[in-house]
Amino acid sequence: MAVGVTVGHAPWKASRPVTAARQEPYPPEDDLAARFRAGDEQALREAYDRYGRVVLHLATSTLANRSDAEDVTQTTFVAAWLGRDTFDPEKGSLVGWLLGIGRRKVIDRLRASARETRVVETVRQLPETARTGPDPDTVVDRLVVADELARLPDDQRRMLELAFFDDLTHQQIATVTGVPLGTVKSHIRRGMASLKRRWEVDGVTSGPRPAGLPGAR
Amino acid sequence: MSHLDHDRLVFLALGESEADTTESTHLGACAHCRTEMDTLQHVAGLGAGTQGLHDLPDPPEHVWQDIVAEIRAAETLPALPGPRAERSDERPSGDRPGDGAGGVLLAPSRRRGRWSRWAATAATAAAAAVVGVVGTLVVLDGTGPTPEPAPPRVVLASAPLKAYGATPPDANGEARVFDNGRLHLHLANLPDVPGYYEVWLINPRNMQMFSVGVLGDATDELLPLPPNVDLEAYSVVDVSAEAYDNNTAHSGKSLLRGTLTG
Repeated sequence: MAVGVTVGHAPWKASRPVTAARQEPYPPEDDLAARFRAGDEQALREAYDRYGRVVLHLATSTLANRSDAEDVTQTTFVAAWLGRDTFDPEKGSLVGWLLGIGRRKVIDRLRASARETRVVETVRQLPETARTGPDPDTVVDRLVVADELARLPDDQRRMLELAFFDDLTHQQIATVTGVPLGTVKSHIRRGMASLKRRWEVDGVTSGPRPAGLPGAR
Repeated sequence: MSHLDHDRLVFLALGESEADTTESTHLGACAHCRTEMDTLQHVAGLGAGTQGLHDLPDPPEHVWQDIVAEIRAAETLPALPGPRAERSDERPSGDRPGDGAGGVLLAPSRRRGRWSRWAATAATAAAAAVVGVVGTLVVLDGTGPTPEPAPPRVVLASAPLKAYGATPPDANGEARVFDNGRLHLHLANLPDVPGYYEVWLINPRNMQMFSVGVLGDATDELLPLPPNVDLEAYSVVDVSAEAYDNNTAHSGKSLLRGTLTG
C-alpha cells in the first residue's frame, strides 16, 4: 500500500543509516490516481489525506485570510472530484493536477480581492495594496519538487537534502555520511535529474502549459 | 561544438565549483547548455526552498466535511425541489456549504427512489452520469437531514459545453435548463482570464444574443433566464471571457459553447 504521504515525509535525520534499503522507491500513486479518476470515493478520501495539506499550504502561503485558504482547499477538492474525468494521468501526477486546480483557485481569489481593492481605490485613491504572500506558481513548483524529493530513493534524497538545506559541498557530504565521494556525486546527479524531470512535468513555470496571469501576481 | 558534460553542469548549477574559462566561454555561446544549467539552478533553488514542506499540518476536519457537503450538493443539483421554487434562489449565493443550502436541497436517504423516477423522465446522458454518482455519495456521507422528498425538477433542455476556439481543450461544462426557468451550469477547467466569465444565449441564425449573467469561481452556477425566452431560437449557450472595460457587449472571446437540445 501507499507509503504514507509523500510530502508529509519525515525530515532527514543524521542518525538514519544512509545505506538503509528503501522498501518502496515510488509510492503507488498510479493506483490512487486511477481509482480517483474512476470515481472511487475512497480514493477521494485518500487523495485528500495525502494532499489536502499540500493544497492548504499553497493556499495559506499565498492568501492573507485563513478562511479563504480553507475555502480554496475545499473548492479545489470539490472541483477535482467533479472534474475527475479531465484528469489525464499521462500528463502529470495527481498531486500536480490538484495543485494546478488549487493554483487557479488561489489566483481567482487574489483577483477578486484585487477587484475589491480597485473599487475602494476609485473612491479613495489609495495606492494599490501589495500582495501579501509569495507567488502561487513558485509555491506550486516548490511543492512539486518537495513531493519528488520525498519519492527519491533514500540515499539520493539525503544527499540532496544535505546539499540544499545544509549547503554542504559534495566533499563535506562524503565526510559527514562516510559515503565515498564518487557515490555522493552519482546520487546527487541522479536525484537532480529526477527533480528536474518532475518539475518539467508538473511544475507551473517550467513548460508549455498556459502561464498564469500577470495581473494576479 | 560539443556540449558540456551534463554531470559537470549539475555540479556547476549546485555551486559545487566555478566554471573555468573554457566552460564560461561555452556557456556564453551555447544556448542549449545555458538553458540546461539555468534549469538545474532553478530546480536546485526550488529544492532548497522545500525545507519544512515535509511536515505540513493537515487541514481542519471541517474542510473535509465541507467538501463532502458541497460535492453532494453539486451532484444532486438537478433534483432541486419543485414546489418550493424560492429554494433554488439559494444556489448561486449558497454555493458553499454550511449556509444551509446543502441541507435543504438534499435528501440522501430518499435519493434512490427519487432518482430512479427522475431518471426515467429525463433519460439524458447527463442524467445517467449523475445517477451514477448517487451510490458514491451515500457512501461518502450517509448522514444528513432528510427533508420531505420533492417532485423532481424537469430538465427542458441541456447542452454539453465544449472548448471553443483557442480555449484549452480540457475546459468543458454542461448547461441545463430547468422547468423553473433557471439555467444550471457546471464548469470544469475554465482557463484563467484577466477579467471575468459571462454567460450568453445566442441565436445562431442571426447571432443575436443576450447576457444571462456573470459567473463566479464556483464550478456550478444557477442563473435565472428571462421569462418566455425562446430556447429554440436562442439555442447556443456561450461562456465568454470579459474584461473590466465598461463594455457590456460580448468580448468576442468565447471560451465554451454548446447547443441546447430538448
